[in-house]
Amino acid sequence: MVKPQKAVASFDSATGMLRALSRFLRDQDVPMLGQAPRVLEPVAAAVAGAAARLPRAAKEQAYAVSGWAEAVPLRRVPEIRSEELARWVSGHYPRGPYPVAFLGSSNGALIHLAAALRTPWLPQTLLLPVRRRGVGPDDPRGDLRATREAGQALLAANPDLVLHHMHDANQDRLMIAGMTYFRVKWRRLPQAYRRFLEESLPAGATLVVPECGLRWPVTRVGPRYVFQHGALGGATREEYEHGGPRVADYLSRYGAGRERWDYPPADGDSPEAEWGFEPELLADLEELAARNGWRLVRMRFGEPEELSPVVAELYRDWYRRRGLPGDRLLVECFLLLEPWWALRSGSVPYWMVFNAEQSQRRAMAYLDGTDPFDEIRLMLFSHGVESVGLAGIGDWRRLLARARKVGVFTGVDTRAYPRDFAGLIRAHRELSRIRTTYPMPLPMPWEAAAEFLSKRDEIEWSG
Amino acid sequence: MPLESLVRTALGMKVAVWRSQGPGPPVVCVHGAGVSSRELLPFVREMGVTHDAWSLDLPGFGRSEKPRAPLTVTGLADAVADWLAASELRRPCLLGGSFGCQVAVDLAVRHPGAAGALVLVGPTVDARARSAVRLVGQWLRNSVRESPRMMPLNVADYLDAGPRRVLASFGASMRDRIEDKLPHVTVPVLVVRGGADRMVSQAWAEEVTRLLPRGRLVVMEGLPHMVPYRDPRGLAREVAAFLERAW
Repeated sequence: MVKPQKAVASFDSATGMLRALSRFLRDQDVPMLGQAPRVLEPVAAAVAGAAARLPRAAKEQAYAVSGWAEAVPLRRVPEIRSEELARWVSGHYPRGPYPVAFLGSSNGALIHLAAALRTPWLPQTLLLPVRRRGVGPDDPRGDLRATREAGQALLAANPDLVLHHMHDANQDRLMIAGMTYFRVKWRRLPQAYRRFLEESLPAGATLVVPECGLRWPVTRVGPRYVFQHGALGGATREEYEHGGPRVADYLSRYGAGRERWDYPPADGDSPEAEWGFEPELLADLEELAARNGWRLVRMRFGEPEELSPVVAELYRDWYRRRGLPGDRLLVECFLLLEPWWALRSGSVPYWMVFNAEQSQRRAMAYLDGTDPFDEIRLMLFSHGVESVGLAGIGDWRRLLARARKVGVFTGVDTRAYPRDFAGLIRAHRELSRIRTTYPMPLPMPWEAAAEFLSKRDEIEWSG
Repeated sequence: MPLESLVRTALGMKVAVWRSQGPGPPVVCVHGAGVSSRELLPFVREMGVTHDAWSLDLPGFGRSEKPRAPLTVTGLADAVADWLAASELRRPCLLGGSFGCQVAVDLAVRHPGAAGALVLVGPTVDARARSAVRLVGQWLRNSVRESPRMMPLNVADYLDAGPRRVLASFGASMRDRIEDKLPHVTVPVLVVRGGADRMVSQAWAEEVTRLLPRGRLVVMEGLPHMVPYRDPRGLAREVAAFLERAW
């Protein structure tokens, strides 16, 4: 059997969020992305900072190797057990009682909502990186061919899972050089989740299902098996399918020897692999809630970032009611999340799904529609690729210029971005030096949060 | 633009002054502890392209007259205020470098109306790092990042002022509680920090900006403490942009 912590990618949205929130519930911040002891932070920051000066090829190699090192060998994929994964996930959290818990889509804004309420969130989706050889990043068909059998074996051993084999030759270029992305979603509730919830939620509590409605073009491989063409970020669905000038330029810059990708023909769409919610799970959740006397709330939203302004405004409102200025904004990116420091520094959290132009535009739009902030801090995830639609440092500077007093990058080496792995360590380090901090508040009352959330247009609230 | 060298009087003392007269409104530079205008002259030249740029040697330093007892922050601020009035410079932008920020802030708070705007480049001294040992450590860590060409200028400055005055200015810098005055500065202020400055931490530069009612922070990446010497053109651009918005 493969140990769950070996099977699941540690540098993924779901696990990054799980670590940030579970540490928060144990009154801890997130140094070293929650991956290594806090005392190593200064050394690691220095080493990674020096590594940022390496030649580009060496840095790209480092990204690729770090991904490969995390991945499971192809032959061991059938040994992965979904029940073990669920036990590992739920084992992160202290047992309740909690007045409310979340189970569903991964979402950075949701993590801040859960932190404000001091409640856990169980992910529906996990990423299982799988090693494979001899397939270039721009060959999606080859990728599917090489790993399909392993995927089928994984599903045969785990009837409660849906497999979203995801291939993003744009943003994951370096990571998928030696591995592939298997994203699995639970369609049936695993025992470990059930047990955790039953031990942690008293009768009368609320189980909230965050459901991201994002869908994406796929090729159906089998009954519970889809192959996803690209992913949410800088390139559009059309660009993955049919190419275009931006794709051709990108492929020529990376010497791919082709003008567009050749994905197998899409024959439909499905919930997006990383963020989308697979609704089949609802039946089990409804049954469980009814049996335990919990209220089940469905919290539906269209795209991941639709929750970001909602949670940001919820925080701002909450700060003001507590007599704090609420004049600091912490813009976070992908798995760079700091719920503990957001609250200690009195910062309004605004989460971006990734570092692409679309996220930058949405963040700007949020700033357009709210009272100006005195301070804006930006943590940027670096994925190592000059990908299609990447927002450049100039774009981010424009965002920071919206601050009335202090608009600063936090942990970003602007000369190294987007090949700035030191940023992953420095973001926490710099954020934790912030002055003028506030005591950790008592949890936000769930009724107040529910009242606020149910009135927002971005969310379809039922239950 | 040629640099004019003038001598004026302030509080009865002779004060050495440099000027590069550009078309825009006046910008007056105040140097750091123990040093003089020498390190600021490249910046005065650049600033003088667009603005009426000045730099003066504080009494006791560089080529200015030396009062018998070294002046405190307050005494230096009063001298600068007197010189501004005598030179008929109305509400200029006052740019302090390092310890010069402390003089500029003191002046702005105690002589309302004397300065129209402030630029604080590498403001000292971090309220949480007010110890001689710390300060020396920070100074040493920063010095490796400064331009080696600045060293002879520093030596000349220290010789001009003499060890007693140099030490006295460091002492004055340490004792001055700039954080108590910042909330009372009513004019617009640009705070500039070199991204690699080891004497002025990012957290302190942010705190300075936060305490100023009308402060705004600019971080100039990769630069050490002496931003005006290392990137005079870049700083002049930031100051010009700030004044454009402020006035």
